[in-house]
Amino acid sequence: MYLYDTTYLRPGSIDEAKALYDAGESPAFLSGGHTLLPAMKGHLARHDRLIDIRRIPELQGIAEDESYLTIGAATRHCDVAAAPVVRNCIPALAGMVGTIGDVQVRHVGTIGGSLANNDPAADYPSAALALDAIFRTDQRTLTAEEYFQGLYTTALEPGELLVSVSFRKPEHAGYAKFRNPASRYALAAAFVAVHADGVRVAITGAGNDGVYRWHEAESALGHKFESESLDPLRADMENMSSDMHANAEYRAELVKFCTQKAVTNQNCITLL
Amino acid sequence: MNKNALPRRAVPAPTASREVSYRHGEPSPELKLVTDALFRHIGKPVPRKEDERLITGKGRFTDDFNLPGQVYAAMVRSPHPHAVIGRTDASAALALPGVLAVLTPEDMLADDLQPIPHNPVPSTNYDVKLRASDGSFPFVGPHYPLPLKKVRHVGEVVALVVAETPALAEEASELVDVEYDVLPHVTATAEAFQEGAPAVWDEVPDNVLVDSRFGDEEGTDAAFRRAAHVVKRRFHIDRVTAVTIEPRAALGHFDAETGRYTLYAGSGGAVRQKGEISKVLGVDRERLRVLSFDVGGNFGARNRVYVEFPLILWASRRVGRPVKFTATRSESFLTEYQGRDLITTVELAFDEAGYILAMRADNISNVGARCVSLSPLSKGSGLISGSYHIPCATLRARAIFTNTMCTQAYRSSGRPEVTFAIERMMDLAAEELGMDRVELRRRNLVPPDAMPYTNPVGQHYDSGEYEKNMDRAIELSDWDGFEARKAEARARGKLLGRGFANYVESSIGTPRERAEITVTEDGRVEVIIGTQPSGQGHETSFAQVVADMLGVPVERVQIILGDTDIVKEGGGSHSGRSMRHAGTVMAIASAELLADAKSRFADLHGINSSDIDFHDGVFSAAGVSTDIFALAQATAADKGALHAAHTNEMHTPVFPNGTAICEIEVCMHTGAPVITRYVTVDDVGRCINPLIVHGQTHGGIAQGVGQAMWELCAIDEETGQPSAGSFMDYGMPRSDNMPSFTCEIAEVHSPTNPLGIKAGGEGGTTPALAVIVSAIVDALSEFGVRDISMPVTPQRIWQAMRSAQRNQDNLDRSNR
Ligand SMILES: Cc1cc2nc3c(=O)[nH]c(=O)nc-3n(C[C@H](O)[C@H](O)[C@H](O)COP(=O)(O)OP(=O)(O)OC[C@H]3O[C@@H](n4cnc5c(N)ncnc54)[C@H](O)[C@@H]3O)c2cc1C
Repeated sequence: MYLYDTTYLRPGSIDEAKALYDAGESPAFLSGGHTLLPAMKGHLARHDRLIDIRRIPELQGIAEDESYLTIGAATRHCDVAAAPVVRNCIPALAGMVGTIGDVQVRHVGTIGGSLANNDPAADYPSAALALDAIFRTDQRTLTAEEYFQGLYTTALEPGELLVSVSFRKPEHAGYAKFRNPASRYALAAAFVAVHADGVRVAITGAGNDGVYRWHEAESALGHKFESESLDPLRADMENMSSDMHANAEYRAELVKFCTQKAVTNQNCITLL
Repeated sequence: MNKNALPRRAVPAPTASREVSYRHGEPSPELKLVTDALFRHIGKPVPRKEDERLITGKGRFTDDFNLPGQVYAAMVRSPHPHAVIGRTDASAALALPGVLAVLTPEDMLADDLQPIPHNPVPSTNYDVKLRASDGSFPFVGPHYPLPLKKVRHVGEVVALVVAETPALAEEASELVDVEYDVLPHVTATAEAFQEGAPAVWDEVPDNVLVDSRFGDEEGTDAAFRRAAHVVKRRFHIDRVTAVTIEPRAALGHFDAETGRYTLYAGSGGAVRQKGEISKVLGVDRERLRVLSFDVGGNFGARNRVYVEFPLILWASRRVGRPVKFTATRSESFLTEYQGRDLITTVELAFDEAGYILAMRADNISNVGARCVSLSPLSKGSGLISGSYHIPCATLRARAIFTNTMCTQAYRSSGRPEVTFAIERMMDLAAEELGMDRVELRRRNLVPPDAMPYTNPVGQHYDSGEYEKNMDRAIELSDWDGFEARKAEARARGKLLGRGFANYVESSIGTPRERAEITVTEDGRVEVIIGTQPSGQGHETSFAQVVADMLGVPVERVQIILGDTDIVKEGGGSHSGRSMRHAGTVMAIASAELLADAKSRFADLHGINSSDIDFHDGVFSAAGVSTDIFALAQATAADKGALHAAHTNEMHTPVFPNGTAICEIEVCMHTGAPVITRYVTVDDVGRCINPLIVHGQTHGGIAQGVGQAMWELCAIDEETGQPSAGSFMDYGMPRSDNMPSFTCEIAEVHSPTNPLGIKAGGEGGTTPALAVIVSAIVDALSEFGVRDISMPVTPQRIWQAMRSAQRNQDNLDRSNR
């Protein structure tokens, strides 16, 4: 309920942030704090300093070029959902971000925080994987495949700062989510993007190991992009997580149904 | 629908010889006068006076209070469901600067604190009598503020830490090292009374603290032998928690100079808290003052004393500073008194024509680690036959201990459980008998001319027009349009189901209530009353009653509650008692006040009091007139304040009743349910304020639907650990998953009290569980699904469709 003692710091540049981080004993970057602060309040995490990265200019803003839509890591969900450039360029992405949590959550939570946290039930990871995103950090550039490394795990090294994420613009894309009746996080969700070089299907909420690509669905849809192409398929039960809200069998069913809905409803989102 | 397919069976007419009597004496001339003049404000949707205060942040909730020099308490809680408490090492906690004390059970014993006298066995004349199997008074498990030897549920407080800041108190509480010798545990209701289950209390080796039988066994057996059809089922109405928006909190202060304790703590009634906590502390009642103003939700969870309340008062005496405790949401999930948890096995005997001949019920209530209330078992026991005329019944009522948090009366204590059972049985029986489920109900309803009606377990239903409620609800639901809606839904891949449930419930509650009414010289009417609202709008509806009685504007009437130095008596708010008890006693006190006022007016003008006319707050006779406020002012010097106080006792229960119908669409692919229609007709007796009653009904529906669809205090049986400890896993009703309700109020005035009030706070909840499950089962009927357990989550619905389909496939295969 109460944080252990900590020091709040607010650097204005990446260099300053790094220096503050290096000088700490158990430091953490703070973005929206919607995940970090509850963990600290529950005494599941203890950090001697919180380095708020939201005022660093490089982590701000949304920009578009020929092939990519780039979003600064500290951009809030509400700003992504409402940005005309996102709505025009990848309507399914804007729509998806508009379904995260509730109004309060969307006005505080950030894309960087969500992707650095890599919650297996979060929405953003599926978009990043299906839209073949490029992750830019203060040190290097990673592909989505390199970046996601399982439950709550990413390629980020301690002290490595996520600066921005570039989503490859698809021809079109769709997102369908079945929500956990209690938490409203995804019990299963599918982001289906059609790129010039093929279909990418990313599943979140359901996988044992976090977000993953459903390759069988991708190739079936590559032959014919319609929901019926998925009829003969079955999501791999071995790969499904199981909890009080959905066992593996049910999750596998939801994965397929969400994917089909995402295929049918391209350029928009489907809440199930 | 053919209403008259068969002649109605005769239901015995009410007999004069019955003990129950609705005589209240002839109304006094004053009461008659006001009764005649009544209803200028009563019955009107007066907007709630308290809302502006509450929605602009001016409420006075417990945590809003602070005292100079206050310090903070945090609880050390058991991580085990069942264990012997070993050595407690507090040295690391005490070593933190700013930690003032760590208090343990030994300290508590040294200071001679007593168990909380919950008095859990209901004792009014109208409650069924619950006893141990040998007929003795049940062993309830002493509830010391800190347990003496063993912990008996996860989250039980084993020590408390007092420190300068809340953060420090919390940190120190994690450093208190308690050794435990872990014992085998039992948490499941169905397991606890089985041979070989670990005993929660050595005093009750089989965990069964109550085992009572009621009804006419011989008659019932004979009827079952005669029966053309027998239908039998077992249901588990599982456990939920109240999730009050304001977690429980308390601020306690011991004043060494006066030797008096003061407790700020929101509850269901400060007077009860004062009485019981003073006994825990071993002090005279008047040495404890309890203040409970605005309360952010109760639903029964706050009616009983929480251990933290006496603990912080005691801690305050120990450390010499005021001590504050505010529960976290996690603590609330773990240790707020919980609700329901009943296993019921019901058997109905029908004749050829579908009339019920007899009923057998076997109800097992899980009270948790100790018994704080048998109200759920008792209330439910009296209503097993629901709205139906069942000539003969037997009931076995058992209460069992388990290693879980204690259960307590929870909104509509005990009634949604038995309503669920009887209404599900009516659906199932209709199916098995091949009858229409509405017609089967219609045939068996208690008719109005049988009122007052004594049910087979001895409850006297006061009044009600059950069939009329049912017909009106059917009409409001556009019953005949269902098939078209179903076909339309089908075209969208949805299965539409319709649920149906009647209900009757009882409102009893603490019998005594006191009102003190004063007409102040500055032109207000002050009413002191001992109920405790937690959102029910007493400040408005009570003011309406007094305003009507005294003929003054409702804005002038001020309701004062919650401070035991002012409110000396009062039963609190539970069991739908407040409006009925407070309304009645306020009416009587008003009448007494008017009688006094009249004689003052007569004296003032030297006239005969029988000639005085009273209208709109103005006394007049022979050309002179004085309004009640001026009269109070003019006579204050001679006769003191214009004031009346009355204490009233009413034991006779009332029986609110009604019908609920809903429609739910189920997604064929995912099982996800969406409520598309929800209709109720509720007989609340006289309705003082329809705006407030509708609000109560809406909230009540959401609370019942919540249990049916999402809420569950899930426990991992292996480890005994609660597994739904936050909103991540505990699903709630919300504005976006509730439909818009169509609610109609039926007013069949109760003959049991002068205003004819029944109750309006719980009727929304009572049939909700049954009607939701009824609709889901109806939607899934084409899959051959006959029953489903709550909460009816998408996964459960999907699994039910799935396994029914598999069974069908297997059948088809074996038939090939
Ligand atoms: C009630 C509620 C409901 C929610 N519902 C949903 C939902 O439906 N769907 C969903 O997807 N999410 C949901 N969320 C999550 C929310 O949307 C946030 O995305 C998430 O909490 C993390 O973002 P943040 O900005 O708050 O990050 P923080 O909590 O500040 O940080 C999270 C972690 O990432 C690290 N971090 C943050 N930024 C960086 C960076 N730039 N570089 C490196 N590391 C960094 C932090 O050190 C920390 O470890 C919900 C949250 C709440 C509280």
